[in-house]
Amino acid sequence: MSNLDTLTQKIREKAKSLLEGGQADVVIGYRTGTVPLMAAPFFARTPQDCDQLVWSSFARLNLANYLPGRTEKVALVAKGCDARNAVGQVAENQYPKDKLFILGVPCSGQVDAAKVAAKEPRPIQTSEETDDSIKLTGPGYSTDLKKEDVLRRNCLTCAHRTPTLANELVGPEVPSLPTDDFSDLTALLAKSSEERLTYFKDLIKDCLRCYACRNACPLCYCPVCFVDETRPQWLGKSTDPMDTMTFHLLRGLHCAGRCTACGACETACPVNIKVREFNRVLDKTVKENWSYEPGLAWDQKPPLTVYQPNDPADFIK
Amino acid sequence: MNNPYLPYPVRIADIVVDSPDKSLRTFKFEFLDPEDENRFAYLPGQFAELSVPGQGEIPIGIASSPTEKGYVLFTVNRVGQVSSFLHNMKPGDIMGIRGPLGHPYPVDTLKGKNIVIIASGFAVTTLRATVVWLLHPDNRSNYGRITFVYGARSPGHLLFREDWEAWQKRDDIDVFVAIYKPVDGWTGKVGFVPAVLQEICPPAENTAAIICGPPIAIKTTQPVLFEAGYKPENIIMSLENRMKCGLGICGRCNVGPEYVCKDGPVFTLAQLNELPPEY
Amino acid sequence: MPEYLVKENALADFFRELTQDRRLLTPQGQGENCRLEETDPSKVSLEYTNTHKSPKECFFPQTEKLLAFSKEADKPHPNEYRDLGDKAVATVIFGLRPCDARGLCVADKVFQNDRFTDPYWKGKYEKTLKIGLACLNPSPQCFCAAMGGSPFGEAGLDVLAYPRDKGLGLKTLTEAGEALIKTTKAEPGDLKSEIADLEKKAIEAQGPIDHFVAINERKIMELYKAPHWPTTAEPCLGCGVCTFFCPTCHCFDIQDEANERGGIRMRNWDTCMSALFTQHGSGHNPRPSKTERIRQRFMHKLKYIPIKQDGVRGCTGCGRCVVMCPANIDIRSVAALMAQTQAS
Repeated sequence: MSNLDTLTQKIREKAKSLLEGGQADVVIGYRTGTVPLMAAPFFARTPQDCDQLVWSSFARLNLANYLPGRTEKVALVAKGCDARNAVGQVAENQYPKDKLFILGVPCSGQVDAAKVAAKEPRPIQTSEETDDSIKLTGPGYSTDLKKEDVLRRNCLTCAHRTPTLANELVGPEVPSLPTDDFSDLTALLAKSSEERLTYFKDLIKDCLRCYACRNACPLCYCPVCFVDETRPQWLGKSTDPMDTMTFHLLRGLHCAGRCTACGACETACPVNIKVREFNRVLDKTVKENWSYEPGLAWDQKPPLTVYQPNDPADFIK
Repeated sequence: MNNPYLPYPVRIADIVVDSPDKSLRTFKFEFLDPEDENRFAYLPGQFAELSVPGQGEIPIGIASSPTEKGYVLFTVNRVGQVSSFLHNMKPGDIMGIRGPLGHPYPVDTLKGKNIVIIASGFAVTTLRATVVWLLHPDNRSNYGRITFVYGARSPGHLLFREDWEAWQKRDDIDVFVAIYKPVDGWTGKVGFVPAVLQEICPPAENTAAIICGPPIAIKTTQPVLFEAGYKPENIIMSLENRMKCGLGICGRCNVGPEYVCKDGPVFTLAQLNELPPEY
Repeated sequence: MPEYLVKENALADFFRELTQDRRLLTPQGQGENCRLEETDPSKVSLEYTNTHKSPKECFFPQTEKLLAFSKEADKPHPNEYRDLGDKAVATVIFGLRPCDARGLCVADKVFQNDRFTDPYWKGKYEKTLKIGLACLNPSPQCFCAAMGGSPFGEAGLDVLAYPRDKGLGLKTLTEAGEALIKTTKAEPGDLKSEIADLEKKAIEAQGPIDHFVAINERKIMELYKAPHWPTTAEPCLGCGVCTFFCPTCHCFDIQDEANERGGIRMRNWDTCMSALFTQHGSGHNPRPSKTERIRQRFMHKLKYIPIKQDGVRGCTGCGRCVVMCPANIDIRSVAALMAQTQAS
């Protein structure tokens, strides 16, 4: 039995026992999608439902996004990043710890649909997964891709592939990756501020302001987002580039030090904007200044939401 | 080509503060181009977009009757950005109105019938227009008995006092005006609109009811009418929903397949019974 | 209307002749980069699945300025709005997929409805001739036939083209389309039976087809009260990607932007997936949760629009929302659930 199948089986067994034992009212996990390369969010409420739960490398959305505001006891099928977001939501008082059961899945990385499309531009009918490869079929063809060639960028620098604070892991820990040195940012940070502005302007030139990035993000749980406020209205509603940039910059800052690099924003973006470029620079800043990584402790507040006398203050000149 | 997004320019001729908390003001507009008044040909129950330059538009029922020449009236509740700005505008200021929009009350098909008009709170506006229109010498003889029931929180919240006081002196309309709680000096009826209606409800035979008010008032008035034998097709209501274009295009005001702006805002209860309650 | 042929070696001339007094838009690029762009007649490609975004933006851009006013001008009056007009230029679009052309028809009936005509849409729509390119090999996520269309569908098109021996087969569908093709050197030919054969094959390629007929038979309130809506809506992120990419979605917001001298009134695409879309000034919201909003979207596509448009559905089976929904809410699955609704 492949590792994926073992994980799927373990998730189903555990989900059933949690529902039957009354420890959870709902198990939020993934089912097989109706389109290739898709594992879709699924809410299992009965033991029979649990037979639809699966584990795959197409589980790109972050299910912690479904926690805030929920009143039921939730068992959350969580990758390392998702688990950290769930912990972060507990720390930020968005969901009570005593109602949460993290069913942690050690994760070997999730597949980037855009990378797949770059390697196989023909229409894809089906996608089948083994532990190392993906078999694609379409009208008159079949292709095998190595999974490691099509993983998302954020998965390649993931520091916590095995969930750190899970109530239970459904499989053995996966080997850690080398510590993220943010070396991919070297070129960007070497640019002048004008050049960087040009870079970011170009990055978001196709943005439709659908806010799918925000809506897919477990950090963006505000009841009314600043872009939707009308009294006062902070931001124009058109596709004006300045308004669009303001949205991305402010969202980036609101997420600073809280982002777990789950990549759900980039998964949800319908025009393939590398939304995480905004967060990534801020991730680096927070890590270097406060030695802080989000979602590693139940009671740890993000550094930019608290004040400590020994906080670095070099930026005040 | 006629552009339905382009408002007619109007001048604010007068502003009357209507409620003690100043949340209601009635605006009297005059068209800058007298020809526009003819183009803006309307009937009671229709609405228009009040168009405040730089702020936006709000859909408001027309409180005047087309039988009143030279001006149009709108009563505006201060709730959002546009209405708050409008409340601070002054007589003489220039803005726009766009319309008329929606369908009027079915005054044609009501010919020969008795009409009972039931208003709660500031939703009285288009019903005030309806009464003025019905009482006009050109129209009055086409209709049977007319009954006007109107309630508001306090005497200060009753709009168009001069109008209904004048109607009370006439013998071709029965007028019942109430406030919800007794106060010193008020000699009229006291009670919520459904209770007042129950007391005086005209027989259902050959009679149509037009109701306007907040959802709770509409909901509690219906049982009184059912009890008196009114059928859903003879209970007429005007809906409100968030609107932008007013033309049945921008999409947000729909109740099932019907757009409140283009296909309404006037519906019979019989129509609404077949539609989702999304209003 | 007759059929015509364009041979491979006559293609470049054909496209040049089409654009004698109008600009030419065709799909350029592949996959997520495929979009309608002004095209040099020598660079028309027939090798694409479909444009990433629907063609509605040619007639209904995401942001469009409608009116302007000045606080200072005496003419017309200070604060009087003036029409900015539509910026329509004579255009021919080559390569619309039949699903998208059909989508434009649905939107057209909203923009030019029984009571009002939207001049900004109308100007552009009527100055554009539309040549479709039939789908010989529909993509796996296409389902136009299930929604009452066809890979060779003709609705909304002036001319239907299809790839033929590295050239084109053409069928003219309107007077304007016929007149346009007459200005080219396309050769007359009888392609009726060939088109019928190709259409049959292309429909068969979409597999066994469920037309979800029961949806048409159920009453509004039967479908509305069906028990599946909360489950259907639960994964929804409320992002509205489905609506932005849909060829028939046409909802918009109207916004003023002003400074001390004057301002403009514009419209921007809006989405029924947003709570603010329907929220009253009082705070009351007729569609307060995503269950009501998801139900609105699917009821609108599959029930409300057919009621208003003689049975034509508001979904044309282009498959964009199916592919792009981050939460995999698949209109085919939802239509199947709606079709299972019991009569009351």
